[in-house]
Amino acid sequence: MLAELGHFSLVLALFLSILMAGYPLWGATTGQSSLMASARPLAIGVFLFTAFSYFCLTQSFLDDDFSIAYVAHNSNSLLPWYYKITAVWGGHEGSFLLWVLIFTAWSAAVALFSRSIPLDMVARVLSVLSLVGIGFYLYVLIASNPFERLLPFYPVDGRDLNPLLQDFGMIIHPPMLYMGYVGFSVVFAFAIAALINGRLDSTWARWSRPWTLAAWVFLTLGIALGSWWAYNELGWGGWWFWDPVENASFMPWLVGTALLHSLAVTEKRKVFKSWTVLLAIAAFSLSLLGTFLVRSGILVSVHSFASDPTRGLFILGLLVVVIGGSLLLYALRAPALTSVGRYEVMSRETMLMGNNILLSAATLVVLLGTLLPLVHKELGLGSISIGAPFFNQMFTWLIVPFVALLSIGPLSRWKNQPLSALKNQLLFAFLLAFFTTVLLGFAKDKVDYTAMLGLGLSVWVLIATVQEVRQRIAGMSASQGVMAKLSALTPSHWGMVAGHLGFAMMLVGIAMVSGYSEERDLRMSPGDQVELAGYHITFVGVERLDGPNYEGHVAHLDVYEGERHIGDLAAEKRFYTVQRTVMTEASVDIGLTRDLYVALGEQLPDGDWAVRAYVKPFVRWIWAGALLMAIGGLLSMSDKRYRMARLVEAPVSGNQQEVAV
Amino acid sequence: MKRIGLFLLPLALFLFVTLFLLQGLYSDPRERESSLLERQVPAFTLPDVMDETTQYNAQVFQGQVTLLNVWGTWCVTCAIELPFLTQLKEQGVRIVGLYYEQDLDPDFGGKSLPQIQQSIRDKLSQLGDPYEFNIFDVSRDYSIDLGVTGAPETFLIDREGRIRLHHVGDLNPRIWEQKFLPLYQELMGP
Repeated sequence: MLAELGHFSLVLALFLSILMAGYPLWGATTGQSSLMASARPLAIGVFLFTAFSYFCLTQSFLDDDFSIAYVAHNSNSLLPWYYKITAVWGGHEGSFLLWVLIFTAWSAAVALFSRSIPLDMVARVLSVLSLVGIGFYLYVLIASNPFERLLPFYPVDGRDLNPLLQDFGMIIHPPMLYMGYVGFSVVFAFAIAALINGRLDSTWARWSRPWTLAAWVFLTLGIALGSWWAYNELGWGGWWFWDPVENASFMPWLVGTALLHSLAVTEKRKVFKSWTVLLAIAAFSLSLLGTFLVRSGILVSVHSFASDPTRGLFILGLLVVVIGGSLLLYALRAPALTSVGRYEVMSRETMLMGNNILLSAATLVVLLGTLLPLVHKELGLGSISIGAPFFNQMFTWLIVPFVALLSIGPLSRWKNQPLSALKNQLLFAFLLAFFTTVLLGFAKDKVDYTAMLGLGLSVWVLIATVQEVRQRIAGMSASQGVMAKLSALTPSHWGMVAGHLGFAMMLVGIAMVSGYSEERDLRMSPGDQVELAGYHITFVGVERLDGPNYEGHVAHLDVYEGERHIGDLAAEKRFYTVQRTVMTEASVDIGLTRDLYVALGEQLPDGDWAVRAYVKPFVRWIWAGALLMAIGGLLSMSDKRYRMARLVEAPVSGNQQEVAV
Repeated sequence: MKRIGLFLLPLALFLFVTLFLLQGLYSDPRERESSLLERQVPAFTLPDVMDETTQYNAQVFQGQVTLLNVWGTWCVTCAIELPFLTQLKEQGVRIVGLYYEQDLDPDFGGKSLPQIQQSIRDKLSQLGDPYEFNIFDVSRDYSIDLGVTGAPETFLIDREGRIRLHHVGDLNPRIWEQKFLPLYQELMGP
């Protein structure tokens, strides 16, 4: 009964979406405000009906209703209740329902937090959103219905949730990622609405920026969580695999980052308009493409759990309509966009443009690396695989000019920045970074030049960021104290500082892990001892393990650094009885400057155990850096400029403190 | 209007990618094009799995059409295809095994060669022995040269010692009829 209600509620949401795609847009075109005003209640209605539908599916999981095919395939009566809730998005149908739910949540958020935006704009934006939404409702209802029943022959118990997905990281990773993916739909809708009505100005950029930031923050956190999950759950000690699905989430992030910066320029200087619109369309298009790649099974990957050409074809059709349509609209309208601002070759505009180009180049590299194997095969040239070495090399090349622009850009002025004025600062920062790196690099026993390069670049970003803050407060009146000056900087400025420092922090982590990780494959029996990078590891023994829906072994290891006891590590090997899958739960001793990572392998025929041990220096910094970037995004969002009520009253005046990107 | 061309570029790029995605939807990702197709079998010198004094090299594929079957006693699917391979042998198909063992690894393995030979004898007497002989890929380098990703995999090799077909997964009557038989008959020729 509940499932049927959920299904019906979803159908209602579809019909409301159809109304929402038509009425407000018609109203905005003909100037009838009563029609335009219907957009907001409709958006909220669509959200409520979808949320109810989602609730019905969740409740079916909690009730162990195995007459529903989706529940039977993805749950089990022995599954703990919290995993039953997360199992809702553990498979294809449910994760799409979640996608749709989040999509409507964003639309409802636009409806609620857009009081300051003119009604005709809101009406257009919401209509564009629900035009996209209709496609996805049709998909869920026709091709991937999660409420399908297995009547009359339903199983007594379910097939259980994929054990890879039974982990805390997995509880929050997909919703976060979807929040990011889908969040770009709002910016996309703003861009399309502006293209339709032909008004693309700095107000448009100001409306779009907080929404871009919000989506970007979620995406950043989602990707970081995914990386953290892979590190803990896959047992290889890796944090990024250049897996096609990871790439699918990385591309919108790169474009989203470019969009953030480009929007800043469009808002402040009224230039780069057509470029910014293209980025807005690209960010959402790549999110959709990511969804397609993951869900169609077109690329073989650990992530793709649905392979069905009909579904793939349906999503591909949606992509063609949504992306193709918006790019066509772009081609028709964008040539009319004129940029009014003028700027010199050496200026902040140019720096940001360069940064945008590099981010786009990085996106193309990832796109190429992801799709080339497919293209190659379809052209009949045979299978090839493009792996981590390709991406690592390309990114090592791209990051050097990127960091240079990232360091110089914030220091330079809009319109025109004579290089000579910056010469001393640049030289100071560069030399300081260079010498710090040399000192740090050669203090290690092992010299790794790539790692030193990464370290040097992060130090450079750090110094440049400090210089930028100093430069900014130096311009304030001398009567204030330093603290007063610092607090006079806007939150969005601090957002930039946090974002850039987060990037530097992440770079430190990446450089150190890539250059100085130590790993050993061992065979151990109780009592065995081993030395690894100054740590003394003793294999204490193995015990049996009995979990709710798994059984297995847990190995205890004692770790000493010199005489100091670091801790007991308990690495697990689990066998999930229903799905008959073996999973590795690595045990990690976390630390600020290094992680000690132990994974239990197979038991060997003579009773010994295969054990993998790793020392991963500074690996936490990667995720900490991502977190700091996300905090930066939140700070920027909290800036007064974007507080909706204020926008109407006071358009930002020209002589106000120039706020950084 | 001249500028429109530039702005159409993203659309063109997208449509181009779409074409490949469309085509990719209908191709089986498990279908692998071996990079060795139409080439000579890579050179090797490896012993027989039962008798280390007997050595084989690429000459063994000359003059006869051969199925090279990669297998191991540890591999469950290989055991399933053994009876069918034996039927093929009885029909006159020449089958050579490439024996691939995981448990002989110096670091991780736990079995000695006599133990493995015993388990091979057990397996083959129980399920049928389709092999003319078994080449023993001692250090598993040859499997890598052949682009083997797991077991079972089967190669069809022509009289000149060229690889003509590479199949990943088990060889069953359906696969044999659809994929192997036409080419096999052509190779056997008049």
